[in-house]
Amino acid sequence: MRTSQTFRYLIGPLELLHEQAGPRLLRLTRLGVFLLWITKLALDPLWRLAELPRDLLTPTGFLSFFPPSFYDYFLTTTNLTTFLFLTMAVLMLCLTDRAFPLVSTIAAVLLTAYSCLIRSFGPAVHTDIVLLLAVYVLAGFAWADFFAIKFGHKKSSPGSWNSFPLVTIVALLCLSYMLVGFNRAIAGGPRVFTGDTMETWTIDASLRGYYFNTNVGWHIPEWPTVVLMLRLGLPIITLFEISAPLCLVSSHYRWIFIPTMLSFHLLSLVLMNIFFFDDMLLYLLLIDWSRRYPSLRAPQLSTI
Amino acid sequence: MSKLARAPLKLHPGIAIPVIAVCIALIVWLVSFVVPFALAAQAYAILLALLSFRYWPPMTQWVQRMPLPHRLIFGVLIGSMILGHLTIRSAAYFPFIGWEIFPFAREEDPVTCRELIATTASGQKVRLLVEQLYPSIVQISPLNENRPDLMEHLVKAMARTYNEHHALDPVRHVDLMVMAVKLHPPANESRAQPSCELLKRFDISSGH
Repeated sequence: MRTSQTFRYLIGPLELLHEQAGPRLLRLTRLGVFLLWITKLALDPLWRLAELPRDLLTPTGFLSFFPPSFYDYFLTTTNLTTFLFLTMAVLMLCLTDRAFPLVSTIAAVLLTAYSCLIRSFGPAVHTDIVLLLAVYVLAGFAWADFFAIKFGHKKSSPGSWNSFPLVTIVALLCLSYMLVGFNRAIAGGPRVFTGDTMETWTIDASLRGYYFNTNVGWHIPEWPTVVLMLRLGLPIITLFEISAPLCLVSSHYRWIFIPTMLSFHLLSLVLMNIFFFDDMLLYLLLIDWSRRYPSLRAPQLSTI
Repeated sequence: MSKLARAPLKLHPGIAIPVIAVCIALIVWLVSFVVPFALAAQAYAILLALLSFRYWPPMTQWVQRMPLPHRLIFGVLIGSMILGHLTIRSAAYFPFIGWEIFPFAREEDPVTCRELIATTASGQKVRLLVEQLYPSIVQISPLNENRPDLMEHLVKAMARTYNEHHALDPVRHVDLMVMAVKLHPPANESRAQPSCELLKRFDISSGH
């Protein structure tokens, strides 16, 4: 009996994250997502891509449908600068909530084009993909709200719909981790977790140096404790990745998941120059704000 | 005459769980003749995860509360992400891509990497990184000296971009080096810097 109670206490309450979310929380999420994109674009000298040789370009995603002549026209300093400022202007319009379904859809298309373009000069890396999907979610659910109201949905009131996009964004974030974990554990097999694999990945990333270049990771053969930490860390992190969807249901799990994965991402920055800061900012959505602050709850639930 | 209700088959969890596990393993093994085992196993793992949410009452109630358009959006986004992953194609269906991070075992010793080291007019050595000169690019594919034309175009573009921001001390030449770090270095070996070897020199001073 006591064991069962202790076990229940350890697991904690199983409640769906953001189930009570109100319009303010959704509005704050929209502001956060679009402001983050605006900041990213404001810091990006996209026009410099015009200086790179065209033979380096392998179009990614829907950009592969365009003929090569399109890139001769598009990849000029003027056009890239125009495209960047146009995208930022549309993102700023998204902050105003005016005609949000339409404006956010245009933003989603422009951001997809931007993300495809910057990945056309290298591999399709995973940073900021969930942030892009978050824009899809916000745009998609805004259209869903529009059509559900237009066709008079009766089952639930629009006041209770705020949780839908928020839960979906968290679900996509957790799903991305789960897919990474499954892929490593199943496709990579046990050999990924044994031998020198993790040291090899670390030294390779550290030697290559990306935007952040800490120049630390390639020293690890000199540090046996760090090597041990990396070897033990990979299976532990993979377990957390596979079980990430539990974040949707368990607050206790979230309080273990958040510090563990934050430490992992920070260590990846120090040792491998890889920084997933977009995902780290999306961790703010792993906190059930509406249960803590009544002002962020749906109107009919704020008195509970 | 009343119809007799059939009593449900009761199995001890200690028997049922291994039986289910063996059945799933058998199905995955059979499917692996059609699609690669890694994909079939991942598809089943994802399916199990989805089913566990499907039968969790709060999730069921939450989905039932959704109007049809919301359900469609939710299903399309989750489904696209899963299908995109199962294609294991990194670029074709972006942003619905294969989620592969540290996806396979790597055991090479020493670990090597190509680097571009520029020498400026004042004799200063500067490392040229594509991702720093063109911050839009999150990561570029590893430098490959087997494509000499492409390498030369890239080096000249990088030098030009560097010189635009350092007009007083421009780049004179760029060396393509291979850097190497031993995973298990001998105890007496100095490890202050990775060992490096010159592969090719690109002259920039011609003003191209």
